[in-house]
Amino acid sequence: MTRSSGIECEAGVSSAPPMGRLRSPRLLIAALAVLACSDQAAEKSDLLLVTTTSVRDSGLLYELLPIFEKRTDVRPQIVAVGSGAALRMGRDGNADVLLTHAPDGETELVASGAVVSRTPIMENYFVIAGPPEDPAGVRGAASPANAMRRIAAATAPFVSRADDSGTHRREVALLKEAGLDPAGGWPGFARTGAGMGQTLEVAGERRAYVLSDAGTFLAFRERIELESLSQPDPSLRNVYSVLRVDPERLDPARAARAEQFEAFMLDTETQRLIAEFGRERFGRPLFRPLHP
Amino acid sequence: MSNPTLLSARDLRVELRSRRGSFQLTADALDLRGREALVILGANGSGKSTLMRTLAGLEHPDGGTVVSVATGPVTMVFQRPAPFAGSVAHNVRVSFLGSKRSSVDRRVRVEEALERFKIDHLAEHRAATLSGGELRRLALARAFALHPAVLLLDEPFAGLDADGQAALSLDLRRAISDTGVAVAMVTHDMRRAMLLADRIAVLIDGKLAQIGLRDDVLERPATPEIAQVVGMTNLARGVVSADLRGDLALVEVGPEHRVATQAECPPGTRVWIGIRPEHLKVDVGRGTVDPIGKGVVRGVVNDGVTVTVRVDWAGTELRTFLMAGRGLARSLEVGAEVSLSASPEHVHLIPDRSV
Amino acid sequence: MNPPFDAMLIEITARTLAVCLSALAISLAVGLPIGIALGSRRFKGRVAAVSLINTGMGAPPIVVGLIVYLALQRSGPFGGLSWLYSLEAMVLAQVLIALPLVVGITLAAVGSLDDDWELQVRTLGVPKRWRLWLLVREIRLGLLAAVITALGGILSEVGAVMAVGGNLEGETRVLTTAILMHTQMGQLEEALGLATILVGLMLILAGLLTAVQQSGRT
Repeated sequence: MTRSSGIECEAGVSSAPPMGRLRSPRLLIAALAVLACSDQAAEKSDLLLVTTTSVRDSGLLYELLPIFEKRTDVRPQIVAVGSGAALRMGRDGNADVLLTHAPDGETELVASGAVVSRTPIMENYFVIAGPPEDPAGVRGAASPANAMRRIAAATAPFVSRADDSGTHRREVALLKEAGLDPAGGWPGFARTGAGMGQTLEVAGERRAYVLSDAGTFLAFRERIELESLSQPDPSLRNVYSVLRVDPERLDPARAARAEQFEAFMLDTETQRLIAEFGRERFGRPLFRPLHP
Repeated sequence: MSNPTLLSARDLRVELRSRRGSFQLTADALDLRGREALVILGANGSGKSTLMRTLAGLEHPDGGTVVSVATGPVTMVFQRPAPFAGSVAHNVRVSFLGSKRSSVDRRVRVEEALERFKIDHLAEHRAATLSGGELRRLALARAFALHPAVLLLDEPFAGLDADGQAALSLDLRRAISDTGVAVAMVTHDMRRAMLLADRIAVLIDGKLAQIGLRDDVLERPATPEIAQVVGMTNLARGVVSADLRGDLALVEVGPEHRVATQAECPPGTRVWIGIRPEHLKVDVGRGTVDPIGKGVVRGVVNDGVTVTVRVDWAGTELRTFLMAGRGLARSLEVGAEVSLSASPEHVHLIPDRSV
Repeated sequence: MNPPFDAMLIEITARTLAVCLSALAISLAVGLPIGIALGSRRFKGRVAAVSLINTGMGAPPIVVGLIVYLALQRSGPFGGLSWLYSLEAMVLAQVLIALPLVVGITLAAVGSLDDDWELQVRTLGVPKRWRLWLLVREIRLGLLAAVITALGGILSEVGAVMAVGGNLEGETRVLTTAILMHTQMGQLEEALGLATILVGLMLILAGLLTAVQQSGRT
């Protein structure tokens, strides 16, 4: 009786969790869910890199990883999920290394010992995007928090990811700073529970305001006909870090590879590539390396 | 007192176009009278179904009129009984859907129709469980429940065994005389036709060639083609002789074969003689009464009830029937010489227009 | 970050029922007459029409979703309706998915009737209005099959509904899209809870319809 059209997965290049990690039924189900949408290349998994959808969608990894592979002969698998899920996977030991951009959660992970190091490697700024007409007057706002207040005051349409991702958490922080209900709450505030791309599509369709990471926004900008209305501001700063899962919880070979990855990301050559990434496609680079 | 005319067709012309070409049905005059059964005979493809459907109002004629002067409905029963989902009683009630009759009235009519065709004991059975014969009765009950003025039947006896056919024709006959309905029926079964028909209509290649009282048509078909259709299969060409035998005219079919007939035709006329098989007598030795000449037996087929004898006579093959079990039937052999005879009143003449 | 889950359950379930039953009603209202009309008549191009329907029956629902998306997006031909990411879009997609099923099954049911059936009904003097009732009665088992199949497809549809509805909380989130979202977010308890409700719904509805169907057989 069922004629469903498959689950859309966020898994990127073929991915599968290492077979020895089935710790509880919940993890088993999670593993099966991921497996359901991917090739069964479990045997070839050298290094499980968990990152966020926005990082994956920026395309940076697809440029850097082949170089990493050639240099180290390590073949990493990428799993892209929301920040919340990524951090959880790190906490539960379901990843070897994380590349995320949720500083609060990351710090917690370090404090708890689940993750042994947090190394910021690059940054960019979130943008508050919206219709070019800017009915709420975000362009003139003194700060991003102020901008959110203006949007709420105008009860202008706003689309949120509401998926506990890094972007969503930043949005919540801004709302709190503005003295607003962190769940939004004004009429016209929509929650997709989905990735950045989908959320931007909805925002474009509804001519709404939206908080987005720079990379995804630039990729979608022409299509959805929205503009970036905010200025780079400390409260919009988005720092990307590499986190290594506690080596005691990994098998030594994997732990060693995780270190290799971290070293690679800090490498001068890699940082130079990061500094240039995106210039061709968007006219300006997407990231600013922190260790040039 | 003659029965009232309930349906009249005049100057009928129906054109059918199909992938196989076009077909035209023409009928100058056709009347259906109450309390009468008109049997429509014709070869396959001669237009019987088209005529029925036109009379039923399912086809619109391209020319001419079909007028019903009756107060009741004109209804038709098709070759395949097509029962509706539900009980037998429901099937008959379908005729009353949307009618203004009271439920009491409806119930009475339904019961009456079921009884008429002796399926009242099956009223609550699901129609899908009925046998072939019971389905035919259901189809008739359904039609009669409407108290139709005109009823058109397409092969009402198809698929029934001999007993079933006999019983059904009896019930149908009774229903016709009880209700005064005018019936037109298409059937391939000549015997059934002869039993039920009050009048016969013959279609040849889409044309209504002859219509009249049953015996008139059976005994006096107007053309050789009609004769074939109505079962007068013994046909031979001849010339009316100048000689007479008493008051009777003689037809010379061959030098040794002269046939006496009561029909009147000027001497010298080229004619067909026609003799129905049941009127043709065969005997060995000298034929005594009304001889028409000798012949040679070409085939003897015994189906247990009837023996069909084919005889070569004057260069034509004639056919006659004998009752199986009678002495002659048992002794006749292929190649035997026989004497044929036919009473002059049963020798029919048809002018030969092909010359 | 999510509002209390249980309160949302009722809202999502109610919305799922509203959307799915609306789509079912519309696809039946449109599809049954078309199926009956196509099945009863012989006309030029009937073979082409039936092939089209058979293709539609096998069409991947996500493709239908994509087509609806393209049609309804702001830059699309029907962008003026502003139906994208709304309940209307979801109902539309589901109707388009279910319609070929309904038409195809009804058509087959009508086609299985005797050729003389319609003629017989006419000559018994049954008025036009009642003829339709009688026809439906004849094919009601086939029609029920159409309803059950369509309902099953509609209730389990996730891709097309996600694409054109957007799974917006409080607006266009239904059971299937919510299950997908929670699974992707790793919130498996919530996903299982929703899944249980969905399966329960299907069992109840399918059970009801099957009971009706089987009672028609006795």
